[in-house]
Amino acid sequence: MTAPLLQARGLVQEYATARSFFGKTSTVRAVDGIDLTVRQGEILGIVGESGSGKSTLGRMLLGLETPAGGEVLYQGAPMPAPRTDAWRKLRAQMQLIFQDPLAALDRRMTIAAQIAEPLEIHGIAKGAEAAERLAALMARVGLRRDQADRYPHELSGGQRQRVVIARALATNPGFLVCDEPVSALDVSIQAQVVNLLRDLQEQEGLTMVFISHDLKVVRNICDRVAVMYLGRVVEEAPSDLLFADPRHPYTRALVSSIPKPGQGLHGRIILQGEPPNPAARPAGCAFHPRCAFADRGCAARVPELQHDGRRQIACLKPDAAAATAA
Amino acid sequence: MTFVSIRDLRVAFDGVQVLHGVDLDIRQGEAVGLVGESGCGKSVTWLAALGLLPGKAKVSGSVRLDGQELVGAPRPAIEKVRGKRIAMIFQDPSSSLNPVQRVGKQIMESLRLHRGLKGRDARAEAIRLLDMVGIPSAATRVDLYPHEFSGGQCQRIMIAMALAGEPDLLIADEPTTALDATIQAQILDLLGTIRRETGMAMVFISHDLGAVSVVCDRAVVMYAGRIVEANNIRSLFSAPRHPYTAGLFAAIPDIDADRGRLVPIHGTVPDPKNLPTGCAFSPRCPRATAFCQTDRPHLRPQSGGGDVACFQPVAAPKAFPALRQEALA
Amino acid sequence: MLNFLLSRLARAFLTIMLVMTFAFVVLRLSGDPAMVMLGPDAPKDAVDAFRARWGLNDPIWQQYLAYLTQILTFDFGVSMRDQSPAIDLVLERIPATLALTIPALILKVGIGIPAGVYAALHRESIADRGVIMMSIFGFTIPSFVLGLVLVLIFAVTLDWLPSGGQDTWRHAILPIATMSVGGIGILARFSRSAMIEVLGQPYIRTAMAKGLPWRDVVWKHALRNAAVPIVTLVGFMVGALIAGAVVVESIFSWPGVGRLIVVSVSNRDLAVVQCLLLVIASSMVIANLFVDLAYGLLDPRLRHKSAAH
Repeated sequence: MTAPLLQARGLVQEYATARSFFGKTSTVRAVDGIDLTVRQGEILGIVGESGSGKSTLGRMLLGLETPAGGEVLYQGAPMPAPRTDAWRKLRAQMQLIFQDPLAALDRRMTIAAQIAEPLEIHGIAKGAEAAERLAALMARVGLRRDQADRYPHELSGGQRQRVVIARALATNPGFLVCDEPVSALDVSIQAQVVNLLRDLQEQEGLTMVFISHDLKVVRNICDRVAVMYLGRVVEEAPSDLLFADPRHPYTRALVSSIPKPGQGLHGRIILQGEPPNPAARPAGCAFHPRCAFADRGCAARVPELQHDGRRQIACLKPDAAAATAA
Repeated sequence: MTFVSIRDLRVAFDGVQVLHGVDLDIRQGEAVGLVGESGCGKSVTWLAALGLLPGKAKVSGSVRLDGQELVGAPRPAIEKVRGKRIAMIFQDPSSSLNPVQRVGKQIMESLRLHRGLKGRDARAEAIRLLDMVGIPSAATRVDLYPHEFSGGQCQRIMIAMALAGEPDLLIADEPTTALDATIQAQILDLLGTIRRETGMAMVFISHDLGAVSVVCDRAVVMYAGRIVEANNIRSLFSAPRHPYTAGLFAAIPDIDADRGRLVPIHGTVPDPKNLPTGCAFSPRCPRATAFCQTDRPHLRPQSGGGDVACFQPVAAPKAFPALRQEALA
Repeated sequence: MLNFLLSRLARAFLTIMLVMTFAFVVLRLSGDPAMVMLGPDAPKDAVDAFRARWGLNDPIWQQYLAYLTQILTFDFGVSMRDQSPAIDLVLERIPATLALTIPALILKVGIGIPAGVYAALHRESIADRGVIMMSIFGFTIPSFVLGLVLVLIFAVTLDWLPSGGQDTWRHAILPIATMSVGGIGILARFSRSAMIEVLGQPYIRTAMAKGLPWRDVVWKHALRNAAVPIVTLVGFMVGALIAGAVVVESIFSWPGVGRLIVVSVSNRDLAVVQCLLLVIASSMVIANLFVDLAYGLLDPRLRHKSAAH
């Protein structure tokens, strides 16, 4: 097993909401105690529905948000405080790619200028060397040389995402967080970008956290997957194992919700109830109101994430769930 | 029995043609999937049919509903069709409901319009509809505003509103795209149940081929403003004939297979202002010949069933591969 | 709801206090009322007596405290000029100003909003282009220019209307017209864009898709949603009912609040200026309060902690 590149310990994030003039502020816990290890060279998938806290987690892993509790260790060292020199230096090594490439790009700059910008900011290359590096980056992500002087709006969605990826790669980062990077793209283009990210992992040993609600894409690109529900990890396992044999009742419903040709509407687990709301967290296991196997104990006790062979699972009644799975 | 019949439907915005002659029949009670990537014209087809496009759109061709022509029909005539004969629900349920009106009132508006229900009767029926689409404690929540419901619940309310007119056909335009996976499953399940119970026909517009495959009887694949393939779900998914359809299937990761590399369709969707000559898919097509770049194929019935618009279709399998066949049985 | 109201009232009170304090300090730093009232050649003991009489020799914080205690007992001081209570001087001017600003507001709302909505509903038509052009003209032309042009045409050249004074209703026509044009232009422009924005929303498409006649789509769904931003702007106009006529009153020598502001400021008549500012600030703050309440009525999303799930 390779060494951990990044470790999260007991990460908690809270946001204040509903501030009134006299009233007190109430806090919403978006991330509620997460331990996570990202190993060198792997792609770790984080899946969950809206309100699960997956994007917040991603931003904390990058040090873009300071956690309300817990810590993030990068290469064994704690994350430096925001806006210090050490923190700025770390920016070059960790990059974020998110869903909407048009929002991430400056409309008034050519794509060449945008890809080359980090080279200058971080003092990596200048002049002819920078030009050479730019050409290499563009080739790496599959952009043509003649596209260098285009503006973002002149490119298609997939090409824009390539520009964003090229810019993220400019500083030679060791760690990427991709937050729904292909969700806004059409199916045929999605596959191009997914393949590109896989190439980067395989050929350059890039370590990535891949956040997505699209389980099919996660299944394809990730080595390991963590499933989040209301700010906690409920199951974590190697991708093959998790999708072939999901154990947590929530994971099972999630995997079952993927429509498969020929299967029709039969045999799918349809979860009742609403997607989780962090502002109204149920007591005990947060999933228990929607869980078919929950009993009184589940409403009282918060299950801890526990090792079970190659997987970790946070469920008080994994056996009951497993029995119906078989 | 054919209920809606679309012939040579064309749409242009500001002189740019986006729909290039679509022929499509919807029979009573059937569920048809309309798939394709963004900009292929799948939504525009139905917005045009119902006269819901902005004024600058130029629509030509014919859309007949039980023999009544809708294209170019006077506004009151089309307004009688909307909601009553053909209802439509949309992708973004939260912003598709009027934010300043109680949801009950929005449903009652349809009930008054199409079924003449007023006052207490309308209210009772609105509550019944909300209950039917699975809104818990409908009787008390009928007076809430849209922002007090989640996205999934808003889509249920949209469906209730569409059912208010007891339509013969429901157009569901990407109804689950904006929703979370488990909520998507709920909505697909609900649409299936409603169809079983009411027998209404449905057109399910989606780029999610999986979703289409579970709720539809047959599917129509569109590319760059034209239909390129149409077939029943089983044949289409087991043996796609058009290279684009085949490419779409290959590009989607398979949840059950191992982590093989995806096979993308190279290149991008053409700009409608700048369509390639010949077959619009030819620049991206692995099977294209020189002929495909100069001549355009028409949608033709195939000997093995289904319609394909291609000069070089993927060969029809002599016998279905056993594995695939089994999975579909 | 009560909580919300209380917090808004507290904020309103704070705003008024801030305005008052600021005015108090600035007025005392910007020139000596004794010199203005008595003239630069006044004998030294006259100036000293004047300063002692009005407490101008005390340290500024003492003056401020004295002023605050006064206000809390609803004593707004007397004019340095003629010793009459400042509040009376201000209040007696208000009706004259309202006689101009209220009809002007009615014209702005009554013409501006329908014109804007009509333009939005008939986009790119000749009427739409006309409305856009007229509204640009309306809010770019300064009121002192427009006022003088109107006087030149209707009073001097045509001699249909008087050029100044307050004797009959005919005297009010030119000032009201001058005052309305800009507001009509702004409201038309604003209503048009608010309406266009709303007409592009998905819920409008939903309303059409359910078979609602176009007229009902506009009246029942579009207008109510477009009202939120428009009400904000109208709220500002209501807030400016008292203080919004300074320039126009000066052009047409209309004896309203605006004229009083100009005269009192140039005379450094401290009590009157402070009293004016208090009244003006209060009227704006109250108008704002009503706008906030109207928001809640118009848009349930802005209602403070209404019904829970």
